[in-house]
Amino acid sequence: MNKTASIILMVAIVIGGIILLSGNSNRNSVGSDGKNVEIRDGVQYITIDARGGYSPNVSTAKAGIPSKLIVSTNGTYDCSAALVIRSANYQEVLPPTGQTEIDIGTPKAGEPLRGTCGMGMYNFVVNFD
Amino acid sequence: MSYDRAMLKIHLFHVTGTHCPSCKILIEDILQEQNLIDQVTVDLKNETIAVVTKNEQDTNELMQSLGALIKPNGYSLSLEKLAVENKNNDIIWQALPIGLAFLVLFFLLQKSGVLNFGIGGTATPTTSFVIGLVASVSSCLAIVGGLILSISAKISQDNISDKKTIVLFHFGRLAGFAILGGLLGLLGEIIGINFTVSAILGLLASLVMILLGLNLVGILSKNKVTLPAGIFKFFRRIEHQTFAPLLVGLGTFFLPCGFTQSMQIAALSSGSFITGSLIMFSFALGTFPVLAMLSFGSASLAHSKFAPLFFKTAGVVVIGLGTFALLGGLTGLGIIRPLFNI
Repeated sequence: MNKTASIILMVAIVIGGIILLSGNSNRNSVGSDGKNVEIRDGVQYITIDARGGYSPNVSTAKAGIPSKLIVSTNGTYDCSAALVIRSANYQEVLPPTGQTEIDIGTPKAGEPLRGTCGMGMYNFVVNFD
Repeated sequence: MSYDRAMLKIHLFHVTGTHCPSCKILIEDILQEQNLIDQVTVDLKNETIAVVTKNEQDTNELMQSLGALIKPNGYSLSLEKLAVENKNNDIIWQALPIGLAFLVLFFLLQKSGVLNFGIGGTATPTTSFVIGLVASVSSCLAIVGGLILSISAKISQDNISDKKTIVLFHFGRLAGFAILGGLLGLLGEIIGINFTVSAILGLLASLVMILLGLNLVGILSKNKVTLPAGIFKFFRRIEHQTFAPLLVGLGTFFLPCGFTQSMQIAALSSGSFITGSLIMFSFALGTFPVLAMLSFGSASLAHSKFAPLFFKTAGVVVIGLGTFALLGGLTGLGIIRPLFNI
């Protein structure tokens, strides 16, 4: 195979790959529209589903209210079960099925909460305003 | 007096395909077995073979018969030095698109969500086996599979008795998972699974992968000088000792992989040596088919005539997976912001 053909093929593979990889990403990159955020008895609960990534990927919640993150697993054995939230000093392997409540204190506006999985390939962010 | 140049006892041939230090031993072993051969010396640096025969032989006939013997291993003989430089450069242009295509397919598989079906109920040896099967093609393949591919390809390149090393590695992995799983069940928290330790091991593994990948592609190997001395010594040890491959196999227990960590928790909460051991062993058994295919596949491709293409393609794939694992590991440790969300 000559060099030119190879370079053309590589460019095609990379472009094709990027289109397919980003085209498919709607699955969990949808914003939350606040549907996963609920305030009960003065405590804000933010629910994130963990399985093959975190959903919703981007959430928006209110700042200045004592808040708890509820991470919900359902037959989750993949990387998203190994949750790391640096700012809350949280690193745990979640139970395969269940809901895990994590106290994240009282978030300040403009300081988003970022979670990733142990190997770093899945992540989510909760913005506070 | 006419001196018949073709009828000699000493013959010098040029050889191509000698991609590894141990090629010398392999060729010498094969040719030495021939009755008419008195002595064989392979000079890797100059890519020549000096053959001393017991009787006078025709150089051309000898080249044909000896060439046929080592051809299955990917070597060929010639009287004139061939211009192999261009050929080697061509191979990288074949290897790059093939390697990239493999990487894109791998990430598409991750992205497709096919692997994200939930597995309900408590972990039993059967579900552990199924989870192992899924894990072996999941993103964990980037780190565990990539490491296995790079090490297998590397030892195949350097060593002829690679099968034994690979068998020992897999034995170490299966036995290690059974024993460590049992200990998790028995002792509970004592062998605590530390995210940071596992992430750092993951970073080390990805650096080894990138280094070996560069070496396989040929960027780090100038004139067949392999790895830096210290690392080279480490790999010689993996190759020639029984203990080292066993230990590396066992070490994969601690590499970061969400599936492995979930199974470790299941083993931990089982509270019994036997259940914990069965869960981890079944999981490792589930990952075995794909990992075995990677390692034994590398070994057999490495001894075929496709060896140069295989090494370069494996190098491209390993560099890609290593970079992915490295960025992921840095993200997991909180050192860099997430760059991707597969």
